[in-house]
Amino acid sequence: MSTESHTNHSPLGDGEENPDAAPILALKKLDKRFGATHALKAVDLEFQAGEIHAIVGENGAGKSTLIKMLTGVHVRSSGEVFWKGKPVDLATPHEAISLGINAVHQEVVLCPHLTVAANLFLGDERERFGLLQHSEMVREAQKIIDDIGFRLPAAALLSELTIGQQQLVATARASTRGTRFLIFDEPTGYLTRQEAAQLFTLIGRLKANGVTIVYISHRLEEVFQLADRVSILRDGQLVSTQRVTDTNEEKLISGMINRSIDQIHYKEKVSFGDEILRTEKLSGKGFQEVSVRVRAGEVIGLYGLIGAGRSEFVQSVFGRFPKTGGQIFWKGKPVQIRKEKDAISLGIALVPESRRDQGLCLNLGVGVNLNLPIYKRLSKGIIINPFAEATAADKQIRDVQIKTYSRDALASSLSGGNQQKIVVGKWLAHGADLYIFDEPTVGVDVGTKAEIYKLFAKLLKSGAGIILISSYLPEVYDICDTLHVFRRGRLVASHVTEKAAPEAILTEAIGV
Amino acid sequence: MSVEASNPVRVPTVKSRARIGTLLSLTLLGLLALMWLALAFSTNSFWTLNNITNLLRQGAMTAILAIGETFVIITAGIDLSVGAVVGFASVIVAWFLTNGFPIWAAVFITLGFGLFIGIFHAFGITRLGLPPFIMTLATLTALRGVGLLITNGATININNDDFTGFSQGDVFGIPNLFWMVLVVAIPAYVFLHHSRFGRYLFAIGSNPEAARLSGVNTRRMIYIAYMLSATCAAFVGILLAARIGTGNATQAEGWELQAIASSVIGGTSLFGAIGSIHGPLLGSFILTTINNGANLLNVNSFWQRIITGGLIIVIVYFDGLRRKKR
Repeated sequence: MSTESHTNHSPLGDGEENPDAAPILALKKLDKRFGATHALKAVDLEFQAGEIHAIVGENGAGKSTLIKMLTGVHVRSSGEVFWKGKPVDLATPHEAISLGINAVHQEVVLCPHLTVAANLFLGDERERFGLLQHSEMVREAQKIIDDIGFRLPAAALLSELTIGQQQLVATARASTRGTRFLIFDEPTGYLTRQEAAQLFTLIGRLKANGVTIVYISHRLEEVFQLADRVSILRDGQLVSTQRVTDTNEEKLISGMINRSIDQIHYKEKVSFGDEILRTEKLSGKGFQEVSVRVRAGEVIGLYGLIGAGRSEFVQSVFGRFPKTGGQIFWKGKPVQIRKEKDAISLGIALVPESRRDQGLCLNLGVGVNLNLPIYKRLSKGIIINPFAEATAADKQIRDVQIKTYSRDALASSLSGGNQQKIVVGKWLAHGADLYIFDEPTVGVDVGTKAEIYKLFAKLLKSGAGIILISSYLPEVYDICDTLHVFRRGRLVASHVTEKAAPEAILTEAIGV
Repeated sequence: MSVEASNPVRVPTVKSRARIGTLLSLTLLGLLALMWLALAFSTNSFWTLNNITNLLRQGAMTAILAIGETFVIITAGIDLSVGAVVGFASVIVAWFLTNGFPIWAAVFITLGFGLFIGIFHAFGITRLGLPPFIMTLATLTALRGVGLLITNGATININNDDFTGFSQGDVFGIPNLFWMVLVVAIPAYVFLHHSRFGRYLFAIGSNPEAARLSGVNTRRMIYIAYMLSATCAAFVGILLAARIGTGNATQAEGWELQAIASSVIGGTSLFGAIGSIHGPLLGSFILTTINNGANLLNVNSFWQRIITGGLIIVIVYFDGLRRKKR
């Protein structure tokens, strides 16, 4: 492959017409479905050898799915992939790596108990007579790291480094194994300014060596600083691919926002009642000085990028993690919420972000899952009234329309949408004055989404308040009365939703 | 707008857990019956009053241990100390009896010791953050040491005929020790399957985070599970002391593995959230029958261990296959 692409004036935009710039990797009608979710819709995309190609899009636009298919983690549902003009399967991570495709993930996937050198050489150790050559590896690793231009001690344990430094180790590892195609997923999230500068230097050098870089980032200034071309993904579709010189930040942001989602959102105006919850400068692990207020009949939306501290904030309100400062007021009175039980007995319900990890007992029945918060009510002393238990479960299954043939069916046997209805449904029977929904519509189909929104309306009419965390701007925009934008652990802006422009909200969340 | 139309109905084709459990129990019951039949025909001594009561007495102790162990395993934990608790409890009850305490007092004090050991386990697990395996491994070795210290390495002989006579007695022709299984198993069944605490144990074994976020006091439930396990073990220690008429801390070596094996053969999942009371009961009598039958058939006792090990692998493998098929 040619490395002529340093010359920034080569016609990268219309590569097909130029035989010298044949794409190193071409995706034709790439499609991916997860059950009912259509994650990637017939994406056509070409990557030129030696270019830096940025991909931008909202959370859930399909960027991670795309990476996982390029690295062989997920297999495509349909479409074709061409590597240097030849069709390839990309069915396993091993195949991707042997082609020369590597990725540096947002989360470090290395062994924390090994040294930097051992991590660099993992799977490719230096041996003599079957014995590891520790000092030789450390020496070699240090040379590699120094050559790259990172300042890292090769003999240190990985766990002694900061997350940013660990990410640089992952980068070093990915860029030294015959890699021709390197994907960065939000690489600067945890990096200091200096570390980011070291990373950018490396990216420049890789590019000079003809390595193709795919750069995924929410930080648009980095896109304009580094990339040759930028592609926008939205709702699993490719919106456009342009040279960065032909576009600007405003155009990218308006390309990332989807305006055509009005058909499923239920929004009935309910007049606000008394204040239910107020936080004043609440701080904890992952968020600082957050002040919000929820009134009866009100939905407040917490919008931000993943990792902006929204989940940490609501979990702290729910007593899962201790606060480190600030004050919570419940119906006007200051309260201490030390554990989940305190929050539940006040009248707070939390529908957590991850169904599988936090919401469901997957290998127990639908009925047990639904009744878990209310078993005290279904029992006399500690003995359960089996009739009350069955009736309560069946009522919830009917009320939230869970599609299951029996209350005894295992929660794991249900589709994602129906599982989500269990997590929501168990709090309806219990009853609460404040419902916290953390990403309730991720991975559920359109029909279930509509039912969840209907349920919101029902809760609001009954006088409850709702905190909705969502990374999907159209959703918060259409559902919420008040909108709070989080960025890196802080509440950076609050809006009355009707008066806020979606562009402004996205801009605040990204922090352009 | 019609919501129903937008969502393709996917009917889950899953049998309920209860049905799977029943199926497994019937298989195990069939296996047990088959073994009894085979032994009754192939030996003269199996189907004798003496041997059957002996088998019921021996199986009773493993069964009670296995029931207690099952509560812990359902929370995805493990209690390795139960064998040591049996030996320790036999020393405690013997010590109090030889020091002139009435039987009821000695029994209750010993059960109290068991309860305390369980509390100590749960304390180590929930407060000190030790893995259950390590916490109970530590008490496994330590308790034998404590028991040996108390007797200075000797055996305490129990000279209380009422106490030792109990283990030889019977009601309606069924040995007292077997009645003790029912005394434990029936409340255990009600607790596990018909009380909310039982539901919480399953929920914690399935997903502790989800249980917590649903308002379950997970810490209290861990305490309850380990208290039940250790108290059952202390009870078995009392029964063993009555049966052999001595208290000795080195008794019941390896019984923890018998208990765990019985529970697992009975369908309890070591990953938690799957288990019953009747499963371990059947499991313990299957194991006891194997040992008993091997003795009667003059099979080398070393072979008994190998057969037991092989059986665990086979039964659990087939059980896993069936679960996957669902």
